[in-house]
Amino acid sequence: MSDATVTLSPTENVINAPATEVDGHDPSMLISMRDIWKTYQMGTEKVHALHGVSFDIPRGEYIAIIGPSGSGKSTLMNLIGCLDTPTQGQYWLNGKNVSEMDDDELARIRNQEVGFVFQTFNLLARATALHNVELPLIYGGVSASQRHEMAKQALTAVDLTDRMSHKPNELSGGQRQRVAIARALVNHPSILLADEPTGALDSHTSAEIMDLFERLHSEGNTIIVVTHEHDIAERAHRVISIRDGMIEKDERIR
Amino acid sequence: MKFIETLKLALAAIWAHKLRSALTLLGMIVGVTAFVVVVSLIEGFNRYVDEKIAGIGAKSFTVQRFNPLEDFKDTDTIAAAQRRNKELTLDDYDYLRERAQLIGKIGARARGTPSEVKRGDEVLEDVFVSGATANCVDIENRDVAEGRFLAEPENESAARVAYIGADVANKLFPSGNSIGQEITIRGLPYRVIGVEAAKGTVFGIPQDTFIVIPLKTYSVNYGGLIRQRSLYFIATSITDEQFNDAVDESRFLMRVRRKLGPNEKDNFGIVTPDAITGLRDRIFGTIFIVAIAVPGIALIVGAIVIMNIMLVSVTERTKEIGIRKSLGARQMDILKQFLVEAVTLAIIGGAVGIFLAWVVGAIVTWWFFPTYLSILAILGALAASGGAGVASGIFPAWKAARLDPIEALRAD
Repeated sequence: MSDATVTLSPTENVINAPATEVDGHDPSMLISMRDIWKTYQMGTEKVHALHGVSFDIPRGEYIAIIGPSGSGKSTLMNLIGCLDTPTQGQYWLNGKNVSEMDDDELARIRNQEVGFVFQTFNLLARATALHNVELPLIYGGVSASQRHEMAKQALTAVDLTDRMSHKPNELSGGQRQRVAIARALVNHPSILLADEPTGALDSHTSAEIMDLFERLHSEGNTIIVVTHEHDIAERAHRVISIRDGMIEKDERIR
Repeated sequence: MKFIETLKLALAAIWAHKLRSALTLLGMIVGVTAFVVVVSLIEGFNRYVDEKIAGIGAKSFTVQRFNPLEDFKDTDTIAAAQRRNKELTLDDYDYLRERAQLIGKIGARARGTPSEVKRGDEVLEDVFVSGATANCVDIENRDVAEGRFLAEPENESAARVAYIGADVANKLFPSGNSIGQEITIRGLPYRVIGVEAAKGTVFGIPQDTFIVIPLKTYSVNYGGLIRQRSLYFIATSITDEQFNDAVDESRFLMRVRRKLGPNEKDNFGIVTPDAITGLRDRIFGTIFIVAIAVPGIALIVGAIVIMNIMLVSVTERTKEIGIRKSLGARQMDILKQFLVEAVTLAIIGGAVGIFLAWVVGAIVTWWFFPTYLSILAILGALAASGGAGVASGIFPAWKAARLDPIEALRAD
């Protein structure tokens, strides 16, 4: 696919960019971030949450983004998850430039490309596990019968076959997080984006969830875990460390 | 997101806060109930009047001493009319009958007098006794249940015969067989010749407590056809198409007989069904506006309460909105969710209001006053409550749709 695109725009190729760059990004990569800035106006002062961050993530990678609070990792996560757009810079997700999309286009990308897993699970309290998992499919316009089928499959994949009609308050923390993971995966997104996924769990359950991530990775899913805990980050194959809105370290550990 | 999904969501959210939803809807319910009840009362009354006018059979008009629409405006006009307008006489009646070409039938009538009626030990007070010529049975479309109406020879001879209402018959003759029996009206004996079919009550007033006796008999025994016993004529046209011409002809003939100049006002009154319905429409036009305005205010208050609750609901559910947005809900999805919720809430209120109004209407009809709940009133009430739902839901829904997903997710 990349070969075809390259031949379509040979002039870009000549300019002193790496051989695979097209339109300023690498089309073989699932995620390409180029010189991303995020600036907030706090009263009269401008605060730069991100100072020109650039990195690529290939399909199928298991990556951790680590940094202390205030480092800009939450801002980065919001950008990766298409909840927000950068003040400056380009972000390509699965071949689409999402850095200039409007709210509704972003919503569509979130629905199709991103599966969120949150620290506090963020399940709808009044809905059953099955209905919670169906939610992204409802917004994706999937028919009711197909939705049921897909949601059941996703819950089966996280070993919750016998908890489908339970509401969140009838489930343990680990079970709730697995419902959330099923919800994140039900639409077969390009990335699974987890924000402190074990932050509200005990160490035993945390280990279970991290094992689940490992399994999902081995099944071909691209996983990005945002965390401040080193032992969680160390389960990943690559760790990007953020400090003061810049990439401090980007290392492959496995 | 499909509409049916949005509706399910709205119903679930309303059901989740049953008590709050019910309290929220109180204003809406009161407004819609009041609106529908008032419309039912007015429509019931209108239909009643229309039915009565239709029930008179062929369209008829009356020629009488006063024109109630013109002469009874205030004390001055009443005083002036009392000076100018002379009583009608039986000579006037003959004059019209002989000369009018377009009149089909014309009968003479006298306003009635409440009288004491007896049979043996049974005494009825305040039975309304009036006089009529024989042909009034057709003009007034009377429904004779037993026996017959008065006959013209009985009128000519001032015979003491009585045509009685169903109530009078039932009270004086509990075992039936009233025809040919004798009753005493104001101390004089009369022979019962006919009984009218029961008409029931209207506005709580019984319609069957009356006696009709021959006009001449009435005149002789009650002291002349003047004042409260004023003579009046009731007439039909030969064909319905000629009705207005017949009215004009009678007016012309009366003016000639009274020798009125071209610039002088009528010194008699002619009342047509159009004048009656016209008067009714004038009166009810005003009542209608007031009747709409009061429930309208309740409806506006109801809408404000719904808006308030929807704003609270949006704030409470900020987290939910954030979750939905993170999962791919677009602004329009969120807007629809809250708007449909507000409209559904309001329409439930409207439906409850309509149901309550129907119950109230049924009770009122059964009790004393005819009401009618029309499809138009139901649709109008539903449209009004739905509109109030849109008006009250649009701003909270817009607020919800515009929430920033990151901020919303951060909410508790």
